[in-house]
Amino acid sequence: MIALAVLFSCSMSQVVHAAANSLQDVRERGVLIIGTDATYPPFELKVGDRFEGFDIDLGNEIGKELGVAVRWENINWDGIFAALRARKFDLVISDVVITDKRKKELAFSRPYFPSGQTIVRRKGDERIRSAKDLPGKLITVQQETTGQYAVEKLGLPAERIRKFETMQDALLEVRNGRGDAAVGDLPALGEMIRKGYPELEVVGGIFVRENYGVVLRRGEPELLTAVNDALGRIMADGRYARIYERWLREPLPASVLPSLEQMRNQGTPVAEKSAGSALTIRWELLRSTYPLLLRGALMTLWITFLGLLLGVPLGLLVALVRLSTVRPLSLLATAYVEVVRGTPLLMQIFVIYFVLPSLGVSLPQLVAAVAALSLNAAAYIAEIFRAGIQSIDAGQMEAARAVGMDYKSAMRWVILPQTVRRVLPPLTNEAVALLKDSSLISIIGLSELMRVGREQASNSGSPVTIVLAVALLYLAMTLPLTHLVRHLEARWQPISRPRRSSSTTNQQRAAS
Amino acid sequence: MNGNGAASILVVSDLHKSFGRLEVLRGISLNMREGEVVALIGASGSGKSTFLRCINRLETPTSGTVHFRDMTLWPSNPQVDLNQVRCSMGMVFQRFNLFPHLTALENVTLAPRKVLGVQAEQARNEGLALLEQVHLSAKADNYPAELSGGQQQRVAIARALALRPSLLLFDEPTSALDPELVGEVLEVMRDLAREGRTMLVATHEMSFAREAASRVLFLDEGVVVEEGPPGQVLEAPRQERTRTFLSRVLNH
Repeated sequence: MIALAVLFSCSMSQVVHAAANSLQDVRERGVLIIGTDATYPPFELKVGDRFEGFDIDLGNEIGKELGVAVRWENINWDGIFAALRARKFDLVISDVVITDKRKKELAFSRPYFPSGQTIVRRKGDERIRSAKDLPGKLITVQQETTGQYAVEKLGLPAERIRKFETMQDALLEVRNGRGDAAVGDLPALGEMIRKGYPELEVVGGIFVRENYGVVLRRGEPELLTAVNDALGRIMADGRYARIYERWLREPLPASVLPSLEQMRNQGTPVAEKSAGSALTIRWELLRSTYPLLLRGALMTLWITFLGLLLGVPLGLLVALVRLSTVRPLSLLATAYVEVVRGTPLLMQIFVIYFVLPSLGVSLPQLVAAVAALSLNAAAYIAEIFRAGIQSIDAGQMEAARAVGMDYKSAMRWVILPQTVRRVLPPLTNEAVALLKDSSLISIIGLSELMRVGREQASNSGSPVTIVLAVALLYLAMTLPLTHLVRHLEARWQPISRPRRSSSTTNQQRAAS
Repeated sequence: MNGNGAASILVVSDLHKSFGRLEVLRGISLNMREGEVVALIGASGSGKSTFLRCINRLETPTSGTVHFRDMTLWPSNPQVDLNQVRCSMGMVFQRFNLFPHLTALENVTLAPRKVLGVQAEQARNEGLALLEQVHLSAKADNYPAELSGGQQQRVAIARALALRPSLLLFDEPTSALDPELVGEVLEVMRDLAREGRTMLVATHEMSFAREAASRVLFLDEGVVVEEGPPGQVLEAPRQERTRTFLSRVLNH
């Protein structure tokens, strides 16, 4: 909480500090910082360390027009506007579609590219021919893109729209057969499919027309004017045509420049004033979003619970196998633990959800989420159990064997009951960790708390409010668990510790 | 050797045990008859514990033979069920090794219930009788952590008796106890000796060996140096090593 408060007050002071004239800032700095989500060829992609694409060339030209160098910042799409508003960069150029909704929170330059939403299907899937065929199907989109908005406008219910962090993941979902069709914008989508998805095809042409614009914070008229003027010159003197031909691999159609010229006023009017800080808490926003956030929290609890329900017995099994004297089995268990603990959970989730389907194992979202969490937790839980079993005094096993119990019943009646008492605190810690780690499940589009929070944060234009609310919800779920640990530790203390330690006994004997 | 004509219950001959290159037992033989109480004395590290643990096979001997009643325990014999053998050989450990998560009564009844399949009610009655025998019926529902060392060791003795063993192995049962608690444990052991139990006791308590044992074995460096009735071994030892050991222990 303290950390949050500090963070919050820091952000506030940054707002106060911010100068009104960003153009002057940029010129003094000598560098124009532009944010982009470089996962969208041919507009922006990263090749090695270099940014490339239509938007990159265009942004570099804008820098030249302003007489400054350009520095590109790569960032996830769902955080891109929050970062812009937090002044991490001056502009966003990331094929952002100009919409009325976005105009309420952000400022747009004049349109620089005419685009539109189109549909992608598996090759030859004749059930889907146009937008009319989408209702009733399972549609994948990149979250908070105009693709998502276009599908929502068609009236599809939320549970039929599956949202992903990148367009690539949305396309994988269709290729893997779990989604029926993806919706995104041309011409970028055509390029992606040509390059990496021979199983997919674009169908039905553009069904929603839209335009890309450069994004700025509101209330910065000098910078907006400078960007608009720069775009005008770049379009007029032939540089625009060269960029177009380089990246879209076709001559610039004659209609493009006149139509962009016609729409030059569709950006944000220069006179408009600031929309208020993104960093203030908006209580009314909480009132409207809390049912969504609560539902997300419930999903988080549910997948964590299921993950533990499967992960604890599996972990115990792995621990017992690892301690067994059958060498190949114990090596196998060790390998499992090492591989899972040595690789990021995010990657494990990705493999289970996006890679397994190409091996013929296509798991539904919830199943994949629970499988990933329980398989991951089992490795950590196995180590907890192993350490717990090994911490039990060897005399316990001997005493059990000496009264005629076989290994199995000695484990069952003597060793494990004591182990359980010892491992409950670390096990509960693992539950807390798993609950927080379950936020990584958001990459497969399951509506758990983190995903809902991020959607709402980018949707609302007030990320701070939502982020704080999400943090508090996580805290509300983890605090009872950490309290439970303390309670259990206190309760079982007297049984696990003998009153008199034998070392003092020995000292007394030695002294006598 | 005992000369009273009772049947041999445990016959060990030329038992060897090595841990890696360290030879701990170097040819020990012992013939015990029913009702005998044999005391094993000797310095720490002389092999007393290892000898006991080789008998109930918590350790695996290196060579030699072990016969218990009509069974051959070593060399290893697939027809002999070790768990069954251990039921008829109770063992009491130096560090008690009570199960800390179970009450005194549950410690005593666990094996009868889980190994022999005795009904809960019957196991409970027999367990209470055993606790009565070690003067602890009042502590039946206490956990080991709530008992003194002497009480814990008496519960451990009751636990060893619960399977009605025909041989009791004691591995320095009073060595981990405060001096003032040794007496109550020895008293219980004397009672058992008087009842005619067959007992093999590794101990540092010379008074117990003198009063309760029918025979004393002095072990040093893995061999039996001297063996005989307590009066002879403890009062008039023939071997120099025995005399040195006894003078050290008795002047203690």
